[in-house]
Amino acid sequence: MIVLRDVVQQYGGRVVLEIPELRFVPGRRYGLIGENGSGKTTLIRMLAGTSRPTSGRIEGLEGKKVGYLPQSPYAFSFSVLENVALALDGGRDAKEIARKALVVVGMESLMEARGDRLSGGEAQRMALARVLMRSYNVLLLDEPTSSTDVRSMDLIENTLREYVQKTQCTLIFSTHAPAQALRLADEVLYLEKGRLVEQGPAQALFHSPQDERTKAFLRHWSLNS
Amino acid sequence: MIKQVLELLFGVDPELRQIIGVTLRMSVMSTLISALIGIPWGVAMGANQFKGKAIISRITNTLMGLPPVVAGLIVFLILSRSGPLGKLSLLYSVSAMVIAQVVLISPIIAGMTANIVSLRAPSINETCAGIGIFGWKRLWLTIKECRIPFVTTVLAGFGRSIAEVGAVQMVGGNIQFKTRVMTTAIMMQTNMGHFEMAVALGVVLLIISFVINSLVHRIQEQTQRDRTA
Repeated sequence: MIVLRDVVQQYGGRVVLEIPELRFVPGRRYGLIGENGSGKTTLIRMLAGTSRPTSGRIEGLEGKKVGYLPQSPYAFSFSVLENVALALDGGRDAKEIARKALVVVGMESLMEARGDRLSGGEAQRMALARVLMRSYNVLLLDEPTSSTDVRSMDLIENTLREYVQKTQCTLIFSTHAPAQALRLADEVLYLEKGRLVEQGPAQALFHSPQDERTKAFLRHWSLNS
Repeated sequence: MIKQVLELLFGVDPELRQIIGVTLRMSVMSTLISALIGIPWGVAMGANQFKGKAIISRITNTLMGLPPVVAGLIVFLILSRSGPLGKLSLLYSVSAMVIAQVVLISPIIAGMTANIVSLRAPSINETCAGIGIFGWKRLWLTIKECRIPFVTTVLAGFGRSIAEVGAVQMVGGNIQFKTRVMTTAIMMQTNMGHFEMAVALGVVLLIISFVINSLVHRIQEQTQRDRTA
């Protein structure tokens, strides 16, 4: 189990995340929702190890294989196929596996295109194919569909469901679309101004939120969707 | 005067050819050595977060603006007979001029490289961490991604090298058929009132400068096209 204890993250003296305690049960799917600046990315980056908390501890990740897809993944200037094969360290079968991974995300026609010439949505699908080349204990995705259209979003969500089922990994993802959390997650966490406001099973949190702030956020979202 | 300038440019004046030869030899050598020092220095600064980075960045930025005569003075004192490397008898040689230029150009290449790398490194580092790529492989990928801007950095270093006068004058001595380069020759010929030779050398310098700038411009255009395509 991954446990966060008294975790605080500060940037320039400003507290951007403060979580007294939080647990992630292995094999479950967690969706992080909240406005911009609520701390979703900070939490995912800390779990990925690319950012260290100012204070507090994160336990349960030692020796675990952790995969991470940042919000703006880098697309290297070589071919899409090589970009994806990179995740397997250039092994002999890397390109063959990469080819299959790209078919899964609907990018078979772009395999030879240069990675840095893809559109935002294509680059995101390529980056997802790249991160899903390996199997992990914990998979962290920071807004994996922020630049994609509806069709690609469906494709990505289906790919993720299959991946999680196959690998039985713990999935923790952030999303700007609460409906996506409802579709993909077992549990949803609502963050606001760097604090965890409410956490619960996806259906329960969406249909009968307990905290006024969660209610206001979901009301605002349902009015605008 | 124009006729004399053209005669010098397209004729077989041995001194002019020799001056151009020494200038190119010195500039190419100093640029190559500066690139070998400056690029790894800049990559280390731009791609990593480490203790003392802020102070190293400040020192590098200060050295980027080092006045050529100060660089010349430092190298002069080191290479003079009573200096720590006096035994090598390098003063008033092309090697001394190359050393002075390396002192001047390496920080410029390092600073420019660090800026280029620091723009891409955070995103590359995050992406690589997500798929388990660390250490040398990550560094190699970063360098590979920055290779085109690196060429412009090296060309900028060459441009600086070929146009430099203060430091090379101090440590080279402007010795005829030995350490006289285009810039020091222009200065000397102007002082002597030999304007034809000075103008001819100026034209050659301008042509070289134009070619370098055209190359830099072309590379930058190509990079821009690659990004927007």
